[in-house]
Amino acid sequence: MKIEFSSLEEGSASFALDDASIAFANALRRAMISEVMAFAIEDVKIYDNASALFDEILTHRLGLIPLVTDPDSFVPRSKCSCNGAGCTRCTVTLTMSVEGPCMVTSGDLISQDSVVRPALDNIPIVKLEKNQKVVIEAQAYMERGMEHAKWSPTTICGYKNYPIITHDDRCDGCGLCVEVCPKEILLVKGSAIGLKDGALESCSLCRLCEQACLNSGIGDEPAIHIKMDDRRFLFTVESAGALPTVRIIKQGLLFLKNQSDELYEALSEIRG
Amino acid sequence: MIPVRCFTCGKVISTAYEEYKRRRDENEDPKKILDDLGMDRYCCRCMLLTHKEIIDELNPYQ
Repeated sequence: MKIEFSSLEEGSASFALDDASIAFANALRRAMISEVMAFAIEDVKIYDNASALFDEILTHRLGLIPLVTDPDSFVPRSKCSCNGAGCTRCTVTLTMSVEGPCMVTSGDLISQDSVVRPALDNIPIVKLEKNQKVVIEAQAYMERGMEHAKWSPTTICGYKNYPIITHDDRCDGCGLCVEVCPKEILLVKGSAIGLKDGALESCSLCRLCEQACLNSGIGDEPAIHIKMDDRRFLFTVESAGALPTVRIIKQGLLFLKNQSDELYEALSEIRG
Repeated sequence: MIPVRCFTCGKVISTAYEEYKRRRDENEDPKKILDDLGMDRYCCRCMLLTHKEIIDELNPYQ
C-alpha cells in the first residue's frame, strides 16, 4: 500500500492511495469523517441573552464554530477518569461577554486553554444593537463525528477510482470526444486523441467521450476506452479547521490500525 | 444571520459574507466575488447568493 500526495495544504489535500482494496479505501474515508475526534462546543450556560436570536439558535451557532484541536493533550470525555462530569483533562471552558452595538464574532470567545480556541476569529455569531448584551459560558469537549457533524474534522472527504484512458487504432482523431469532455482533459494529437499533461486525475469517469465516439457511427464499440483502476483511489480531504488535513489522515489510519489490532486480539482469545 | 457553515458540505462560509455583501452592493459580478472568496462548490455559492439578512428587521423586537 502506498500514498502519493498530489497536493498537501493545511486546509485541503488530495492523494492517490495505491494498491488497496475498495473496502479499505471506504473504511479510511469513513474513519476520517466519523471516527477522528475534534473539539466543539456542546454545553452552554446562558447568563444573559438580550439579542434577537433565541438561546437555542445562539447555542447552535456556537456549536458549529470549529475549534483548534490537540488530540494528544486531551482525552475523550467518555474515556476520562471523571466519568463524564467534565474536568480539565477532557473539557475546555470558553466564556464570552459582549455588549452592543457591535457584531459578536467567534474572536470574542475567550478560551481557558491556550491551544483549544476558535480556528477562525471572524465568524459572525449575532449582531447586537444598543443595550443588547450576550453573556455566556460554554463547555467544549472532544467527540466523534458520528455523534454530531459539528465534531467531524472534515468537510469534503471522498474518493474515486483512478481513471485509465486508452484508445484503440480505430481512433481517427476526429475530435468529437475532445469537444464533449466537461473537464477538458483530452486533445487531438496528430491522427489520434491524447491527454493534456497532468490532466488525467481530473477525469470524472462520466464517459461522455465514449458516447460521443459511438455517435460518430464508429460501430458498436467506442474507440476511446474509459476504465477504472480497482486498486488505486484518488482521495480529496478538506479540513473544517479543527485539525490540519495531514493530521486527519494520520488519525484516521491510526483508528483503523487500532480496530484491526483489537479484532486480532479478540480472535486470538477465542482460538486460545 | 448568515448560517455559520454550508448546509451541504460543512465549510465555514459565514466569514465570507461581510466582504461578499460589501462588494455585491458595489455592483460587482457575484461570480467573480465568489471565485475570489474561494467558494468553489455550488452548495457554498448558493448559501451566499440566496441569503436574505433579516436581523436588522428583528432587532427592534426583544
